[in-house]
Amino acid sequence: MSAWIVIVAVGAGSYLFRISMLVLASRVGLPPVIERAARHAVPVSFAALAASALTEHLADAGAALAPAIAVAVAVVAVRRTGSPHAALAAGLPTLWVLSAVLPA
Amino acid sequence: MVATLAAEPTRAPRHESITRPTTPAGERRHHVLAGARAMAPWLVGVVPFGLVIGVSAAQADIPTLAGWLTGPLIFGGSAQIATIQLLDGGAAPAVAIAAGLAVNLRLVLYSATMARRWQGMPRWWQAVAAALLIDPSLAVGVDGYERAATPRQAHLHYMGGAVALLAAWMAAITVGATLGTALPEALHLELVIPLFLIGEVVPRLTSRATNWAVGVAVALGVIGTWVPLHLGALLAIGGGLVAALVTDRAETADAAGAGGTER
Repeated sequence: MSAWIVIVAVGAGSYLFRISMLVLASRVGLPPVIERAARHAVPVSFAALAASALTEHLADAGAALAPAIAVAVAVVAVRRTGSPHAALAAGLPTLWVLSAVLPA
Repeated sequence: MVATLAAEPTRAPRHESITRPTTPAGERRHHVLAGARAMAPWLVGVVPFGLVIGVSAAQADIPTLAGWLTGPLIFGGSAQIATIQLLDGGAAPAVAIAAGLAVNLRLVLYSATMARRWQGMPRWWQAVAAALLIDPSLAVGVDGYERAATPRQAHLHYMGGAVALLAAWMAAITVGATLGTALPEALHLELVIPLFLIGEVVPRLTSRATNWAVGVAVALGVIGTWVPLHLGALLAIGGGLVAALVTDRAETADAAGAGGTER
């Protein structure tokens, strides 16, 4: 029974998070500090999530060189092309090749 | 609404425009499908993640249906995994709830990001759109609002991408929970989402404040993996935002000082 309660509670809380600023903005407007923070939401959140996921993966996998080079290649590819898709198009094949040729 | 987007960090121009004149019905379909197509690359990473969550839900010591319901109710892979793992490990309900909510706390920020863009839309539309708000739909949505000729086109683009994401996510969790799956490790699909996130960050590194914020977020994201209850990423986001606000303020003060000197 507690599993159901936990999942419904996390779901309801998550929905409140999702709708919170929409309600606030429609009633009283967003505080300036939230407006300023929201401008940086995408790069900051995505950078934190990527760094966190990569570090956890490297800690689990043990072999850090191939993923680290793949990430560097992905960053350079996006810088050069301006396209977010270049990260995957360049990074993943690099990872496959390096994982195959480098010792584990 | 498009004019308000000038406040966003400038991004490198894209090669393709999502605007194309057609009949009203065809135009609607065009923008919805464009949003779904923009979501497609995300699905390469999202679908394996959904399969893993489905398998975890089926194997955990909780009712499979309850695990499956994390998909539509929580709709956030990391929070779903955290909640399922803690329930499976016998954690106290309050701890599992706190951890799941902590992982999803960033949604407040995503809500603030979309608030101005969705102002003026009907409440039912905002309620549905908010339910679908998560990292990939935010990325595809913001991209649409930056490139669309009108807000209406951007709304359709967001919905197309978000509904495609929900459909793929639920399908993947269902397949994982009912059939189980073994994905080839050699494909390293677990790195697809981090690589995609990097792809979304790099073009936005166009101001000193964003650069500092991202630098701090990455550093804290690395250090934060040792923080319990999956709170590391949340601390990294908070630290990055503080860095952004401090740098913004310093830049504003510098600009004001320079203006005063010129006079």
